[in-house]
Amino acid sequence: MDMNEEKYLNERMSKQNPFRVPEGYFDDFATQVMAKLPERESQPVTAKRVSFRPWMAVAASLVVAIFSVAVYFTQMGGQQEQPQQASATVSDAYMDAAADYAMIDNAEIYAYFVEN
Amino acid sequence: MASSDEKRLMEMLADPATQRKAFEQVVRQYSEQLYWQVRRIVLTHEDANDVMQNVMLKAWTNLDSFRQASKLSTWLYRIAINESLDFVRHQKAASMMSADDDAGIANTLMADEYFDGDETEAQLQEAIAQLPDVQRTVFNLRYYDNMKYGEMSKVLNTSEGALKASYHIAVKKISDFFKQRD
Repeated sequence: MDMNEEKYLNERMSKQNPFRVPEGYFDDFATQVMAKLPERESQPVTAKRVSFRPWMAVAASLVVAIFSVAVYFTQMGGQQEQPQQASATVSDAYMDAAADYAMIDNAEIYAYFVEN
Repeated sequence: MASSDEKRLMEMLADPATQRKAFEQVVRQYSEQLYWQVRRIVLTHEDANDVMQNVMLKAWTNLDSFRQASKLSTWLYRIAINESLDFVRHQKAASMMSADDDAGIANTLMADEYFDGDETEAQLQEAIAQLPDVQRTVFNLRYYDNMKYGEMSKVLNTSEGALKASYHIAVKKISDFFKQRD
């Protein structure tokens, strides 16, 4: 039934494009767009950000370890501190930019589909 | 585009030293096909041009979020369609709040110097424009561009089954538009 409907549409509709553009529009478009683009503040390449965390974790652990040992020796029999979790956070701005066209609009599209 | 060319382009896009030059190549390569996606949704050249500026600016600003997944074209199409649908939604919201009498899409098109179709074509465009966003988008991509459902699924991040269902509903509605006139 759907195939017939599509066949019917093919007969009734011309696939001719009724929309026109001004002459030379596409030729000029790229030049005109590039002239308007701001300088990009390039995010550092992903690898740099990721490698920061192990160093932070190591440094933080060392500090805590030394501190714990010091506490242990100065307060014999006292409770030992739990080593802290190092938590370097990746910049929010980077994650927002990554989320922007990877995820956000998909939810909208799903929502529209469910509605209709 | 051959995939080794695309790989090279993506490498250049990832490198701040060659990024701008590579992006210009992207704009030259894709702007025409993206334009027609946009134009079919927003309908007038003036609006399509405005949306295209936004599309390119967003692509440029969000280049970093393009590291993963898809093909360049999939990502660009997604931006173009989202920008276009956002544009018409804002337009609809604004016209609902305005006290002016809306001329209607068909009449607006007939008055548009960059629309070459006859009255039937203008009314057809109005019928398509009245489809819900997803149906309209799927209809355009499938009927006019013959886009495969697999590719469409990546652009719209919706299952192929759901897209096919959407398409068939859209086809039925557009057929009904013609049947009413027959």
